[in-house]
Amino acid sequence: MKFTPELSFSGGRVRPLTYDDVDALFELYQHPELPGQRVLDNKDNLIRMVDLSVQMAATQRGMMWALEVDGAITGMVSAFDWQPSLLRTMLRVDGLPQLTLAQRSSALKVCMDFMAEKYHLRNFGYQWIEGQNEEFKTMLTELGFKQSAVMRDAWRSGETSFANVVQFNIVLDKKKPVAGRLGEDSDINPGQNLNGDNNKDGGAA
Amino acid sequence: MNWNFSAGNFSLRLPVSEQDGDALFALLKEQSRVDHIPRSAMTVDVQALDELRRMAMRFETREAAFWLVEGLYDKQLIARIGIQKINWMLSCAQLQWELSNAADLPVLQEVMPPLLNFCFSELGLHRIEVRLRAGSEPHETLLQQLGFHYEGCLPAQIEYNDTSVDMALYSRLSTD
Repeated sequence: MKFTPELSFSGGRVRPLTYDDVDALFELYQHPELPGQRVLDNKDNLIRMVDLSVQMAATQRGMMWALEVDGAITGMVSAFDWQPSLLRTMLRVDGLPQLTLAQRSSALKVCMDFMAEKYHLRNFGYQWIEGQNEEFKTMLTELGFKQSAVMRDAWRSGETSFANVVQFNIVLDKKKPVAGRLGEDSDINPGQNLNGDNNKDGGAA
Repeated sequence: MNWNFSAGNFSLRLPVSEQDGDALFALLKEQSRVDHIPRSAMTVDVQALDELRRMAMRFETREAAFWLVEGLYDKQLIARIGIQKINWMLSCAQLQWELSNAADLPVLQEVMPPLLNFCFSELGLHRIEVRLRAGSEPHETLLQQLGFHYEGCLPAQIEYNDTSVDMALYSRLSTD
């Protein structure tokens, strides 16, 4: 069964994680973007992360995509804290230094569009942590996100140090879904499995 | 660690499932006391027993702790104040309260400093935040009078009564 789609954008694509990606993901986690985030020293956790990416998507708790440019993994897009009944999720992009803002933005948008179309999500959040690249905030604004709050010391960057978190949200002007039966094969209440005839949003993995 | 303590003329204690049902139901059956969360008021007393059991389970895993605030002498329940979604890695938690009419600003000025001190000093938390329905008066005014900082408004966080609810965000830090 397949729960995470492959999606193309100008200059690249996002696709489900596989065990073959472990080395590339290990390289990605040698360049942590978040203040205080440690450099990963063990690949075992990445195997668990690939397993987790399937489990999270299957149970609608989150989704993880490998971000590829020119056939090489240059980042990851993650949806987490996915609340299906509240029609919202949080998003995050991690990237290697060579991942451009334009590629980061395009990958984020294609994932957001998929989740809005497939799962009727209306509210996407993104947390920028003080110390990250300032240009990310501009990118979010250009995508339509608006700053919602500045959460003081909401990110722990060390044993006794903290960083502010700036939360951005985009709330789509989109009709809310009506209640349907679980697993019902319809546009209103789609099943999670993307295999089959109703797979119109993403290609096979 | 002793989780029960006194604050001026009031005591704060963890609830006891077998004995606090009636008092908790009396507090939470009024819609006006839970509108700011937002949540529906309790309609039958067995809901209070269920809530007490949930509180106990959440406390067991140290995911949350709820205190019943009572008069030190008359033992009347005037509020339930709790911290939940405790994140021990980020040293933060969300505070939530349900207040009776008796729990006004002077009362909260007695109760909240020891409660926050317990969270910061005993539990080692750094940030206590409050999320409540935007425009909830008098709660937002009370929070500001108690030294909480307004941080913004998170849009469409909850679906309640067919409406998307925006949540105002306030916080206190151990360093404030």
